[in-house]
Amino acid sequence: MTALQERPPEDIPEEITWEVELQKVGIVRRILNARKWYGADWWFVAISSVLVAIFIIIAVFPSLFAPYKPDALVGPSFLAPGAYPPVPVLVLPNISSANTLKDLAVPAGQPRPGISVVQGGNTAGALNDAAKEIDNQIKTEPEGLRLRPNIDRYASVEEALQAVVDGKDAAAVVESDEFAALKAQYPTLRQGESLTGGSKTAGGFLLGTNDIGQDVWSRLLWGTRVALIIGFSASILSLIIGVPLGLMAAFIGGSFDRLLSLVMDSLYAFPGLILAIAITAVLGPSIVNVIVAIAVLYIPTYYRMVRGQALSVKEDVYVEAARSIGARSREILQRYIFPNVIPSVAIIFSVNVADAILTGAGLAFLGLGLPPTVPDWGIDLARGQRFIQNAWWMITFPGLTILLVVLAFTLMGEGLMEIFNPKLRER
Amino acid sequence: MSPIGFVALIIGIPALVLLGYVLITGSTGLRRYILTRIVLTLPMVLILGSLVFLIMRVVPGDPVSSALGPKGTPEMIQHIREQLGLNDPIIVQYGRFLGHMFTLNFGNSLVGGHRPIADEMSERFPATLELIVPASVLALLIGIFGGAHAASRRKGPVDYAWRIYAVVIYSLPIFWLGLMLQLLFGVKLGWLPISGRIDPIIGTTLVHRTNIYTIDSIISGNWLALKSVLQHLVLPTITLGLILSGIFVRLTRINVIETLSMDYISAARARGIRERVLVYGHALKNALIPIITLIGLQVAILLAGAVLTETVFSWPGMGSYLVERISQRDYNAVQSVIVVFALLVAMISLAVDVIYSLVDPRVRY
Repeated sequence: MTALQERPPEDIPEEITWEVELQKVGIVRRILNARKWYGADWWFVAISSVLVAIFIIIAVFPSLFAPYKPDALVGPSFLAPGAYPPVPVLVLPNISSANTLKDLAVPAGQPRPGISVVQGGNTAGALNDAAKEIDNQIKTEPEGLRLRPNIDRYASVEEALQAVVDGKDAAAVVESDEFAALKAQYPTLRQGESLTGGSKTAGGFLLGTNDIGQDVWSRLLWGTRVALIIGFSASILSLIIGVPLGLMAAFIGGSFDRLLSLVMDSLYAFPGLILAIAITAVLGPSIVNVIVAIAVLYIPTYYRMVRGQALSVKEDVYVEAARSIGARSREILQRYIFPNVIPSVAIIFSVNVADAILTGAGLAFLGLGLPPTVPDWGIDLARGQRFIQNAWWMITFPGLTILLVVLAFTLMGEGLMEIFNPKLRER
Repeated sequence: MSPIGFVALIIGIPALVLLGYVLITGSTGLRRYILTRIVLTLPMVLILGSLVFLIMRVVPGDPVSSALGPKGTPEMIQHIREQLGLNDPIIVQYGRFLGHMFTLNFGNSLVGGHRPIADEMSERFPATLELIVPASVLALLIGIFGGAHAASRRKGPVDYAWRIYAVVIYSLPIFWLGLMLQLLFGVKLGWLPISGRIDPIIGTTLVHRTNIYTIDSIISGNWLALKSVLQHLVLPTITLGLILSGIFVRLTRINVIETLSMDYISAARARGIRERVLVYGHALKNALIPIITLIGLQVAILLAGAVLTETVFSWPGMGSYLVERISQRDYNAVQSVIVVFALLVAMISLAVDVIYSLVDPRVRY
């Protein structure tokens, strides 16, 4: 037994506590205690990376997840999430033994059953079609049943239902939502099957439909693609321009540096969105133009960071040493400065993607930048605002998705920052 | 007096007094620094203005023909272009633009009744001011107390809650926050109006003097109008204020944590001063000094947020003016708005620097 092992854990100096723990604990405990290794919330990075990965997969293969095309008109307009489009249903007296349209068939020669419908609606047509189909099917069967109902047309749903209550008609065919609204007034009636015998709860939409009957959920998923294209392309573009400019300014120095820095600082201090508004307004609506406009905004971010870091690294002793043994500028740039700058670029990139997605959505919300046919969250929000009084789902879900995507990228950047930059640990 | 003059007086006189005070009492270094800063704001405004001037000119699309629509004959378009000076060589137009910029006169609008842009802005700018001032105050209140609270409970659940608050707020699309508030308080609960600055009927009774409706209604003693104005202010202010508050929480938290680790705090703690007094009295006061400069950097976020907030709430301020005029290709109005915004950013950051030098006697330039 060495002295170290006999000592109670409290006496171990704090600096080496975690080293001792690492030797003792298994992999699970290590992961749980990971914050102690890095002093960083690396699980922030883990969770947000998973989220980011999910979003990227959705963006690449939206058709795998989305049930419909983004611009397909697939249902009635303003269908709430979880609600179902109305179907024509059979309404019968409680005492009737029938349940489907087929049950109303009678042997040939007997009085044909009366069925009440509302004039002018599409229930009469649906009833006619359904009855014909069933009739064609059953007249070949040996029972000799026929279904050729008398269709009685009434001016309103109430009259049609009253006819059934009074016994004038054997059943009524009305839209399911209309009967649901009036059910309490007709205690002696019950709802049978839908006309076609299909489910009454078919054709619903997870997140509802918008004003022209597009599926909100499908548009959300397809919107991921547009948002990520904008976010990534804009950030990459500004990285490609900003990083070399920053390196050049740091290396060349002099009046080139001063002039460039003045322009970049002006751009940096100015509200980015407003500049993007001006640029997209001028360039006209298209995805490429949005990307260019947003990229312009973020060039100064990379420029300032890279320039600052390159300037400080340039003065470091090891660069000095490399220079004194005759390393060329390109070599110094490649071997000493670039590797030092990369982690910060990665952090800024991640946060930038988040910011670019927000800005892109903001532009689209203002009606600038993207053509209105593109499935984009900002466009959907602007459209939803017009119907705020009656369709809460049209504005709630696109915004929630933006929040989630931006949060994922931001947290990833934050986590990376804490891991790469130990000085921030204690904050 | 014109509304813009009144607003200029409200902001300008205190600013001039402050500037004069600093220039007279300040050290030579400080004086030189401030004068340099004033001189340096000019290129910034110039660069931004020229940039916008250029991009507005290089692209296709003509404000006159888009304003006249299909009715405009080529002769008419040509005539109006001539009148507005759009047929002059670009360098002449640029010179005129620079002239407008330095006299803050801005010329006439290219669309509608060709009104002077300065007049149009004197209606719009006070609206924006009425929105961003209370929003900034709200953001600062939440930010400073939230940040100090988080710092005092560092690494505890309270701290985590505030950090998550800050990150979530940062990731929130401001226009969506506005929409959600409208949905909840305007549509579902019906407590507050969701658009405009004042009830249109009550608005007719209001005497417009400064175009800052709160001040107008107080001056004229129109309490009904004041109530309506304040009701309309609530949701936009909360929207913009909350979005800004996230950053302030973060900055305050970091600064207070840093200050709390200083020796004099340990000394105070050793003397038995209560933790609450320590955090909110000793640490916060000193942590606020660097925060002042950081506030200056958030002006950009404030203005960008104001544009979106104004659009969501149909608030007739500078932001919605910009968006409106962009769709009509009114170059003059657009570049004027950009110049005013650039001036605002430059002025606020200058003011912040001046205040900083006053508050922190250690800062010497």
